[in-house]
Amino acid sequence: MNHLYVLAALIPVAFVLGWWASRQIGVRRSGAEVSELSSDYFRGLNYLLNEEQDKAIEVFLKLAEYNRDTVETHLALGNLFRRRGEVDRAIRLHQHLVSRPGLTDAMKTVALLELGEDYMRAGLLDRAEALFSDLVAMDAHAPSALRHLIAIYQHERDWHKAIEHARRLEVMTGEEEAPMIAQFYCELAERSRQHGARAEARDYLRQAFECQPDCVRAFMLTGRLLSEDGQHAEAVTAYEAAINADIAFTPDILPPLLNSYARSQQMERAEGFLRDMLGRYHGVSPVLALTHLYRQRDGERAAVDFLTAQLRLRPSVRGLMALIDATMDKIEGEARENFLILRDLTRKLLEGQAMYRCSRCGFGAKAHHWQCPSCKNWSTIRPIHGVASE
Amino acid sequence: MRPLAIVILVIFVAAGIVLGALNADLVDYDLAFFRMQLPKGAALLGAMVIGWLLGGLTAWVGVSTRQRRQLRADQKSPLTP
Ligand SMILES: [Zn+2]
Repeated sequence: MNHLYVLAALIPVAFVLGWWASRQIGVRRSGAEVSELSSDYFRGLNYLLNEEQDKAIEVFLKLAEYNRDTVETHLALGNLFRRRGEVDRAIRLHQHLVSRPGLTDAMKTVALLELGEDYMRAGLLDRAEALFSDLVAMDAHAPSALRHLIAIYQHERDWHKAIEHARRLEVMTGEEEAPMIAQFYCELAERSRQHGARAEARDYLRQAFECQPDCVRAFMLTGRLLSEDGQHAEAVTAYEAAINADIAFTPDILPPLLNSYARSQQMERAEGFLRDMLGRYHGVSPVLALTHLYRQRDGERAAVDFLTAQLRLRPSVRGLMALIDATMDKIEGEARENFLILRDLTRKLLEGQAMYRCSRCGFGAKAHHWQCPSCKNWSTIRPIHGVASE
Repeated sequence: MRPLAIVILVIFVAAGIVLGALNADLVDYDLAFFRMQLPKGAALLGAMVIGWLLGGLTAWVGVSTRQRRQLRADQKSPLTP
């Protein structure tokens, strides 16, 4: 009967061994599943990198079917839908993610952020605003949420809220947002000026200068306000300060500046300033202004001599057109016909040209915008310097 | 199968045959409902095989029911992209 005890002891040992072996087989099989998943993942990634987004979506959808726990796959999928413009699908996917039980808080806020971007893309700005505000209040992904909120307020032209949130962003990230805030104040000043609230406009400009002491736009607006009030001498100072702050904006600042010089009868000062600019600035605008000035003071001959000498140094289509216009009167007969054709040609050449370009995204425009309509960056659109334009 | 596993298997089979031959004497077993006579070695082998199978079965049933429950929970909240 002794060996019965041996048997009784053997059964549990065998039981445990069998149990363990079965588990081992299970683990190995799910390992094979994982490697299959990750090969799918890399296939999807490959499609993404090759810009074959529809194939990538197919693969990621399959991945999401397989393994419903991978939040990252869902996020990638939602992102793809949004980028392809299928915003409603992106919204449904992100809503599903957010409502899923057992999601970690970190993942949930990421999904909320994505959902907010979907809403923005779909134009549901009020929903996006509420969502981003919640995120900021929760202090989750606050910098990104704040940036989106600022974008929304810019779109709605709610500059006060934009300023408030930009300041919070500054505090949160420690990054300098002052130039952008100065632009918001300039927008407010411009609006007040258009509504005739001149004192209010001046107050906004003062705040713009507090943010950014060398804000070109604020100088230009100050000059405009002053010249509208008839204070032309002060306007001249403001416009000159604008050019000194950023010389690239000369083509926009010179016309009102010249007007203010003339109104305040400071032609000596004008000549001095423009002469000084010739050394610093390589565009043709100050040359044309000086030519005009010499024509009025010293006559046609002196003006044309100055213009031809300067055009040799800085070839420019606009300068050429001025030269043609100036010599037109002296020419008679067949040569005059040819000159007329030449003048038409140069005018057509200038007509199709974009005069401004965004230094960030390359957006070309015929008129100046302080905020790029394409990439939404502030004061990145600048006058183009080249033979055809400046 | 790897050669090492084959060697081990052969050794165990040989050990099983030797043990079976050495313990060939019949023993009475009283299992409450019926009695039976078995060689000692066969009883040993039988006990080990039954224990092994029961252990494997328990682990498999446990894993597969858990998977099935999870699948059902996932299908209740379907993805609608
Ligand atoms: Zn741009």
